[in-house]
Amino acid sequence: MPNIVEIAVSNDNFKTLVAAVQAAGLVEALQSPGPFTVFAPVDAAFAALPPGTVQTLVQNPPQLARILKFHVVAGKFTQADLAKLGKVDSLEGSPISIDCSDGFEVKNSTVIAADIEADNGIIHVIDRVILMG
Amino acid sequence: MTATITTQLPPSNHQFADVIHRLEAGGAMLPDTPENLMQIIGLYKAYAVPMDFYWRDLLYIAERVFLNPLPAFKYFLPQEYLDLPNHYAGDTADLRIWQKGSASAHPELLEFMENGRSTKMPKLFHHLLHDRINMEFAEACMQAMYWHRGMGGRFDPYLDTEEYKQNADRAIKAYFKGNPAMLAAYKLFPDMFIEQVRVLSYYSNLGLFWEVMAPVFFEMSDLYDEGKIASVPDAMNFLVNGIFAVAGRPIYHHVYIDGEMFEIIPKSVGFTWLYEAALPYVEAVFYRTAPFRGTKSYNAQAEQVPAEQADFHYGILYADVNPVGSAGIPPTLLMDDMYHFLPQYLLDYYEKHCRGKDDMLVQLGVSFQRSMYCVTSAVIQALRGALLYPLDDTNPKHLEKNRKFFEAQIDRFKRPEARLSDIQSQDYR
Repeated sequence: MPNIVEIAVSNDNFKTLVAAVQAAGLVEALQSPGPFTVFAPVDAAFAALPPGTVQTLVQNPPQLARILKFHVVAGKFTQADLAKLGKVDSLEGSPISIDCSDGFEVKNSTVIAADIEADNGIIHVIDRVILMG
Repeated sequence: MTATITTQLPPSNHQFADVIHRLEAGGAMLPDTPENLMQIIGLYKAYAVPMDFYWRDLLYIAERVFLNPLPAFKYFLPQEYLDLPNHYAGDTADLRIWQKGSASAHPELLEFMENGRSTKMPKLFHHLLHDRINMEFAEACMQAMYWHRGMGGRFDPYLDTEEYKQNADRAIKAYFKGNPAMLAAYKLFPDMFIEQVRVLSYYSNLGLFWEVMAPVFFEMSDLYDEGKIASVPDAMNFLVNGIFAVAGRPIYHHVYIDGEMFEIIPKSVGFTWLYEAALPYVEAVFYRTAPFRGTKSYNAQAEQVPAEQADFHYGILYADVNPVGSAGIPPTLLMDDMYHFLPQYLLDYYEKHCRGKDDMLVQLGVSFQRSMYCVTSAVIQALRGALLYPLDDTNPKHLEKNRKFFEAQIDRFKRPEARLSDIQSQDYR
């Protein structure tokens, strides 16, 4: 089975995400055995951010890495697991709230494709970049 | 980040329902009138010029003056820091926010430093005659951030880590090498020195915060002059976009000793402008600060000053601007700084109202308060954008969450000292 990075690279909807992960130097980490749960924003999610936001982050890899780590959780959690938990701690350290009462929402984003299995974890595709706080 | 919609929700029952509805429609806490727009933009311009001095001097103190036990000349900016390229203006900018301006100090600031209100003379005399930028105001803002702590972000907790103490230790020893007296004092009272370095880290934090705001305000003034910012929501949205654009800029503290750079807070710890500088700044300076010595009694029995820091409500959003210019009212320092850089249209405007030239400090203080309500509106809208949902979201559940957020924010202005109800009317001046 392909790992998380391989799945993202092979999918055309994650061009910005893949570039960001590379710029932040997180490729190796996301290829490690993990396992991880990744909330992966599609390209349109990054495009919806105001101009300059992504540029500033790409200029500053540690800051970009922090935002990206907020999209990753240690452990493998399916939609069903997350629905029970209601809240998980990201690798960044801040909690991520989960709401499955009406569809599948991760913080203020909506999951558009859930439970994509990878060799070293699981991916849930989200429609908005999520931020700490 | 712009949207003009009428909400599908039933009307809010909040005391400030009008303001809530305005925020939901993409507006600001401040009514959208040309008079308000003129005042807030004029004050951004007048604020940005001294701010261009503040951020440069804050970084100079954090990076160069450092632990000087007698920093008598810390407000005397060397040429190097007047030339220091702003990261958001000029041709070398990381992200050019101020399109027309250069990266070095603003020409009006240089002119004022040269001639002051009086005439050209050496800067020591300008300083002694108090013909200068009131840098103490910037330091008071820094102290508010330093003292309030615990306002979110990772910056303050980091200052208590072993890693930080070791970084500070290296810099302290390097700074005082060849000074056995200070090294002995450091050995005896290590915490005293570490604590001073923490204060200096806050100098750096605030300096890096204002380095962004100065070009943002200059650009807004230019856009207003060109007619490209034509309403209060335009102004607010420019700020919202600006907040997002630089949200990820690193916050750090570097110190230069004998040509060597010491990283007390390295960029690699991942601190960001939004979380570690902007949000704590807004909380500390706009909302909390400290009770004015001239309006509140610090007498513990009188219980005028809250016991909890979170209950402090002495920031610009609550301040009584009327006694500006009298003793014990700290914002006077800033009002005096801004007074020198007012655009002509505001000078004309103030002369026509109240006591004309005589109470201009108070009038501009009220305008400044309006302008900071606009900035706070931008922060509230930016937070809503980052953590919640677009204003034109079609899911009523999402809109309900947005409304709860707006109401919770506006709840902070229910206390009688808040000026939110005053600024709704143009008679407040």
